[in-house]
Amino acid sequence: MTAAAPPVLPGSTRPPSRTAPAAAVRARDLLASEWIKLWSVRSTYAALSIAAVLAVGLSALGTYLTAAAAAHPPHGSPPLPDALTLSFSGFPTAQLAVAVLGVLAFTAEQSTGLIRTTFVAVPRRRAVLAAKAATAGAVALAAGEVLAFASFFLTQAILSGHQRGLSLAHPGVAGAVLAGGFYLAVVALLGLGLGAALRSTAAAIAAAVALTYLIPEILSLLPSPWNGRIDRFLPLTAAQQLVSLHPRTDMFAPALSLLVVIGWAAAALAAACVVITRRDA
Amino acid sequence: MIEVCGLTKRFGPVTAVDGLSFTVRPGQVTGFLGPNGAGKTTTLRIILGLDAPTTGRALVGGRPYQRIIRPLHEAGAMLDAGAVHPGRSARQHLRSIARSNGIGAARVGEVLVLTGLDAVAGRRAGGFSLGMKQRLGIAAALLGDPPVLMFDEPANGLDPEGIHWIRQLFRALAGEGRTVFVSSHLMSEMALTADHLIIIGRGRLIADTPVEEFVESRGRRDVLVRSPRAGDLAALLAAHGAAVTPEPGGGLAVTGLEAPAIADLAAARGLPVHELVPRHASLEDAYLDITGDATQYRAAAPAGEGAAAR
Repeated sequence: MTAAAPPVLPGSTRPPSRTAPAAAVRARDLLASEWIKLWSVRSTYAALSIAAVLAVGLSALGTYLTAAAAAHPPHGSPPLPDALTLSFSGFPTAQLAVAVLGVLAFTAEQSTGLIRTTFVAVPRRRAVLAAKAATAGAVALAAGEVLAFASFFLTQAILSGHQRGLSLAHPGVAGAVLAGGFYLAVVALLGLGLGAALRSTAAAIAAAVALTYLIPEILSLLPSPWNGRIDRFLPLTAAQQLVSLHPRTDMFAPALSLLVVIGWAAAALAAACVVITRRDA
Repeated sequence: MIEVCGLTKRFGPVTAVDGLSFTVRPGQVTGFLGPNGAGKTTTLRIILGLDAPTTGRALVGGRPYQRIIRPLHEAGAMLDAGAVHPGRSARQHLRSIARSNGIGAARVGEVLVLTGLDAVAGRRAGGFSLGMKQRLGIAAALLGDPPVLMFDEPANGLDPEGIHWIRQLFRALAGEGRTVFVSSHLMSEMALTADHLIIIGRGRLIADTPVEEFVESRGRRDVLVRSPRAGDLAALLAAHGAAVTPEPGGGLAVTGLEAPAIADLAAARGLPVHELVPRHASLEDAYLDITGDATQYRAAAPAGEGAAAR
């Protein structure tokens, strides 16, 4: 104990308040509380920094290597992939850092027991979850859009050196870039929902990695058309439909793919709602 | 005021709380005592709406906790001092809790001063000693300046100075008319702090009594007498209605006669008395006495001390 012994109850403590304050816990206060929590731990900064490096860095690197290979074909000219998809080539890896951000928004409190302090202060548990979803989702959306546009402009600048660059004004491009950023917000919410439903950092991160990264990889090994029939329901595959200039025809159309992506986050959050209200904290 | 009515909580086959009813009144420190595993923490968690009771109910200020709007103004609690994010500073930890109930930064500063943490408020809570974390937990409980306060084992990990401070704090809070409910598994700690005791064992109520009454009704009293002619003295005292038990050390434990009466009898018969000590069983002994049967996890008594352990 290094702190000096404090005086017992200096005048600062008022007599007990006998009347309850008129207003209930307000949404604004709840959001502010979660905002303070989010920005007062290092993991938030770390997750966003890693996401930024991976999203922009890997996309640029992938684009550069692909373009260079296409410029000097060893034998024949390999078909260049979708120039827009290249802008998001780092996102499948970057999304994992964003998923961790969402997972930790809940499990960091669960693992320390802090969630009980939170639920004592705010017994309406679904309101707490909603506030966490709003803050983590908003931060991930803002970060996602910044990274999507940064990645787009950087990769298209690289491609323009090869006369393959796309302009933002090109039909469908602006919407696709917006969707790329939006996808990261959805992944954060998916992570939050998994964290609250599984109540364990390790389990939730494992589930998020499996769902958004490993299972699509494994499915690609399945024989056609079975790989596609299952794959189109997965979040990453659906997201790739959203950021392609020429979406694959054997998968869901972009509008339906958007619903698939949102559906995953909604399902995880719905499961979280059930778990946090039914189980003892 | 905290009211607990017929509370039962089962975890599968285990009944942690078994038909518990009691009332915790304002203006005094109420000790919530029981051996480890008696159900104290579970009861506190049910009161705070964290666990759902199997049957029964608990009211804080006349309402179920979950129905309270802005609960930090109605009740403050410290359940687990370790419940902090290790990377978050003490001030930010308190700010985030305070803000959820619309409490501003000024009050955060006040409770930091009150708990002696203002000098370390910017440090990450993960580096705090257990004593500092206890103070941080108490600071969080005081944020809303609530009329009802609950603390689960608040003295754990505190140094003697911290324990002294916490006792004074609880007495001062009760003196202001607040309801102060403090759990502990140590009677010695509660004896110095509490006005009233609620004692449970295996989830059941064992005693609900003012501290003095508990001491008077439960405290065994006897007189230790040593004499070189112990055999003669024992016979004399027994003849006058006393119960005499030889002590391992050679003395006699006498009940049924007060010390002056023993001395007078011995003097009248010319029996020398070398030692005459009135003894009161400590609160701790009385507590162990009534909770002995309800202790869930008991260490095997060391050889030869089996009887003394009770």
